[in-house]
Amino acid sequence: MTATDNHRAAPATPAAGATPAAGATLPRDPVIRLEALFDTGSLELIAPDTGTGAIAAAGLIDGTGAVAFASDPRVQGGASGEAGCAAIVAAYEEAVRRGVPIIGLWHSGGARLAEGVASLHAVGTIFAAMTRASGLVPQISVVLGPAAGGAAYGPALTDIVILSGLGRIFVTGPDVVRSVTGEDVDMARLGGHEPHSRRSGVASIVTDTDTEAIAQARRLAALLGDHGKVADDPRGADFSGLLPASPRRAYDMHPVIDRVLDAPGVELFPKWAPNVVTTLGRLGGGTVGVVANNPLRLGGCLDATSAEKAARFVRMCDAFGIPLVVLVDTPGYLPGVGQEWDGVVRRGAKLLHAFAECVVPRVTLVTRKAYGGAYIAMNSRSLGATRVLAWPGAEVAVMGAVAAIRILHRRTLAATEPEKLHDTETALAAEHERTVGGLQRALDLGVIDEIIDPAQTRQAIAHAIAAAPQARGAHRNIPL
Amino acid sequence: MVANVWKVVAAEGQQLEAGDTLVILESMKMEIPVLAEEAGTLSKLHVAEGDVVQEGDLIAVLG
Repeated sequence: MTATDNHRAAPATPAAGATPAAGATLPRDPVIRLEALFDTGSLELIAPDTGTGAIAAAGLIDGTGAVAFASDPRVQGGASGEAGCAAIVAAYEEAVRRGVPIIGLWHSGGARLAEGVASLHAVGTIFAAMTRASGLVPQISVVLGPAAGGAAYGPALTDIVILSGLGRIFVTGPDVVRSVTGEDVDMARLGGHEPHSRRSGVASIVTDTDTEAIAQARRLAALLGDHGKVADDPRGADFSGLLPASPRRAYDMHPVIDRVLDAPGVELFPKWAPNVVTTLGRLGGGTVGVVANNPLRLGGCLDATSAEKAARFVRMCDAFGIPLVVLVDTPGYLPGVGQEWDGVVRRGAKLLHAFAECVVPRVTLVTRKAYGGAYIAMNSRSLGATRVLAWPGAEVAVMGAVAAIRILHRRTLAATEPEKLHDTETALAAEHERTVGGLQRALDLGVIDEIIDPAQTRQAIAHAIAAAPQARGAHRNIPL
Repeated sequence: MVANVWKVVAAEGQQLEAGDTLVILESMKMEIPVLAEEAGTLSKLHVAEGDVVQEGDLIAVLG
């Protein structure tokens, strides 16, 4: 073909070991890819395909309107020039005009070399269109092949990024990396599943196959595009036996989340900062976002990365008017030199800001404990929670009673004979609970509204959401 | 995050299912079970009760 073929970011063959099962990869024809995304027979091209390298279409997903575009990897490796970028910008304008989700299917080497600075300018107009649409309509990116340079930052500006088996995202490919830094790395290790699902936080979801990637995009478009309404009185669910007998024992929060929702939802970033779980699903038929500590990971501590992950999710839900369910079991913010130097103060502040500005109905449930700064950050009353619920036996405090009295009564304890130390600590802790801690104090202060029977969890949360005024945050969703 | 090995639950040579507990760590006043990610035989345990482990340390090998 032409010299620009050299610009292809990637050969069609994946690295060894990364090959998905036969038949799992969609054909390279963008119209076939778009047809797989929309309900059968509903696709309508927004403009005729003139070989611009990108195709845009409108259609239905699960009966709800949506707009989508796909880069055409058959033309110059999907690289974007002026015409292709204009088609994508037009798709964005159409999505905003209709008020429907927009889905991008990416497989592109970035800006077209042959068009020089004109293609750079054109790619920049896509970024501007994405930012104008941010917070107005849900934006989902599905990366089916290599997405390099401008094609990497396109998805990164959207709300949700799904990375399929052969999808690769990087600013510069292995050849450039090798020549500049001397690092020898293949495309999968540089910008495939492992780095983007566990390390970088670039990919919200990874899938082995294109079919699964498209299926997840459809589920998310339906959840974000058609919220429905949270019914006041959903069916109940059995939460017994989910908490371990020992209050010190860690447990997995996922089964609790699954029971709060009507059916298991779509978890975003399951392997990145897993000490916080962010899941979209339905409660009583209406779309909700769940933010939960997971005691199984880092004991449920918040840290810099998980606070940032949660903050972005909260702001996304707020921008689209999706109510939040916040499940709390956290011993605090993670201490350590690494955390402080990593900016746990700056990045943790994002979560405080996100909840404090949030106007959607947001209900907190403390399952077991909420200590310290993390108590405040997890949608406390002080930050404006719609309603704060607690299961019986939950604790809300600056820290655990024993840890607190070891600081408050340091001198007394230092003077205590070792054999009496345990008894003294126990007595002081009980006294501390009576005077400053305990659930009753939290109820008296109004920072917890109600202690609920776990069997009534779904009803109590749904009722609080249904009774609250429906609102929607007036802000964009910057990729925090 | 630093943790103490509070209790060793599984023994070398033991057949394990995915989700079985290998050891229980203690950190941040919490007991945190370390679970087998897939089924297999526990071929080697690299820690004993009372050891201090860091993120990234090898705890056990499943064969």
